[in-house]
Amino acid sequence: MLLLAVGAALSYDNPVDTSIWVLIVPMLLLAINLVAAIISNPRINRRGGLLVFHIGLLSIVLLAAIGRLTYMEGQVEIISGSELSRDLLSEVRSGPLHNGAFDDVRFVQGPYTVEYRPQMMRGLTHSYVAIPDGQGGWREAVVGDDRPLVLEGYRFYTTFNKGFAPILSWLDEDGQVIETGAVHMPSYPLFDFKQSNNWTPQGGDEIKFWLQLETGLKVEEAWVLDGRRASGTLVVNVAGNRTELLPGQSVKMAGGSLRYERLTTWMGYKLFYDPTLQWLFMAAFITITGLGVHFWRKISAEPLGLNDVPGHKNKHAKGSAATSNSVAV
Amino acid sequence: MTELPWLYAGVTAYALAAVTSMVGVGRLGAMATSPAISDISDSQRNNERLVLSLMAAGVVLLVITLADRWMRIGHGPFVNLFELLISQLFSLGLVYTVAYWRIPVLRTTAVVVLPLMGVLAVWVLALEPSDSVFPPTYHNPWLWAHVGFGKFFLAFCLIGTGLAGVILLRGTAFFSNLFRHLPDNVILDKLAWRFMLLALVFDSLMLTAGGIWAQDAWGRYWAWDALETSSFLNWLLLGGSIHARTTYNVPLRLGAILIISVFVFAFITYFGTPFYSEAAHKGVI
Repeated sequence: MLLLAVGAALSYDNPVDTSIWVLIVPMLLLAINLVAAIISNPRINRRGGLLVFHIGLLSIVLLAAIGRLTYMEGQVEIISGSELSRDLLSEVRSGPLHNGAFDDVRFVQGPYTVEYRPQMMRGLTHSYVAIPDGQGGWREAVVGDDRPLVLEGYRFYTTFNKGFAPILSWLDEDGQVIETGAVHMPSYPLFDFKQSNNWTPQGGDEIKFWLQLETGLKVEEAWVLDGRRASGTLVVNVAGNRTELLPGQSVKMAGGSLRYERLTTWMGYKLFYDPTLQWLFMAAFITITGLGVHFWRKISAEPLGLNDVPGHKNKHAKGSAATSNSVAV
Repeated sequence: MTELPWLYAGVTAYALAAVTSMVGVGRLGAMATSPAISDISDSQRNNERLVLSLMAAGVVLLVITLADRWMRIGHGPFVNLFELLISQLFSLGLVYTVAYWRIPVLRTTAVVVLPLMGVLAVWVLALEPSDSVFPPTYHNPWLWAHVGFGKFFLAFCLIGTGLAGVILLRGTAFFSNLFRHLPDNVILDKLAWRFMLLALVFDSLMLTAGGIWAQDAWGRYWAWDALETSSFLNWLLLGGSIHARTTYNVPLRLGAILIISVFVFAFITYFGTPFYSEAAHKGVI
């Protein structure tokens, strides 16, 4: 336990230079110790509550270890109207034995709203997604910071990281669309002051974009961020030539033309996968129940036999024996 | 800040209860040389009724404080240190008042417990009574379970500490006389450890409920943030102390010191974290 305490202290705030072994080794030793105690110590294995408590502790240690071997974490940024795919994953970390069915996870991002109180204090997020209903159709689900979308064991949580994305098309000299895509602008309203990005089309020069947004944002007042009620003028800059575009407008440049189709939004999700979560909860519940049962049996079987404090004789006690045990804790 | 007068009144009631309990114990010690047990009984009973009434009044006044603030700012006392301390003063006072009422042998511990609560009271009065903003991640029923279990954990630690304090104070000639009417230290020690066992149950519940809340709030059940690390170390210290107490022949005074250590660690965990971490839990903002 002392080693585990040292390991926990060293793990404070997940420092990058601290090895995971400072926790694994003490937990392994603790697990061995628990197994030995459960098998050999009659004070544990002959008392139901204590036995359950110790087996529960052992289960938690083992499940936590399995969880670290099979977990997965990551980030996903997905544009409204598009479907989740593995390509969108970033900052992925996973255990060596992770084998979840991520490729079976399907949902289509819809619009979202984010409530803000005065002084830009972020409140609740309601992100609308469409998920397969299992009968060939789709059904809507609402995801929030504390209301995850759970699919195939993967849990998706909305984050502060979200923003706008102009949908752009690159057209050849004949006006045929070569490609259409979205340019992710930085997180909004966190980076309200620098909604800029750049893109280089096939065979063209680098294009710099700056998005001038109208979202109704007022710092001093409560406000709801809703991409459906926002509009944006796209400032396009190629080699010093500056053009302002509204949705539907296009600009000619070397090698083709660029059309600003529409403004949409993107949502950043935190992804978490750990198949042991429910088991951990059950193990914790059983462990605490065992401890509670042990405690209850102990106080029921062994009254303290407190002597009366002067002035606190039991009014209903008839004899000295009853009086002396009037306070059973 | 319409809640401030209620807060001042509640803290005053607790302070008066502390002074009254000390007067009562002092008087009991002085009268211990008198053979008239009925005199002691009547005097002490009146004193204890007064202490109980003052503590109950303090609890009610703090309920009004919290309710007033809640209605004014629109959320419960879960965010900044000012409201957390008021909330703890209320919950510690409530649990201790019930224990004081139902378990007479605990009543003398008021001379230890109430001054400890006085530290929180002085602290809260010294803080800027600022309003707080309720983070989106706090809209979760498991927050209530997590905080509720934590309050019982700390309250049971406090009661155990009261008994441990009496055991240690008894080692001095002055308090030995004042506490001579109490049961033997062996019994007080057993009672104290039973409260610590209860504290372990609620500490475990608090950590479990906290993990469930954290999973929904921040997408992970454990991340070794300041409060989580400190809480886990506190759980280890409490579990290790109980293990030592049940396995080895721990001397009474050492046992008392262990109990107080657990309480001090819990106190630092609950109230000291804001000093070394910008946000008690990540995701507060």
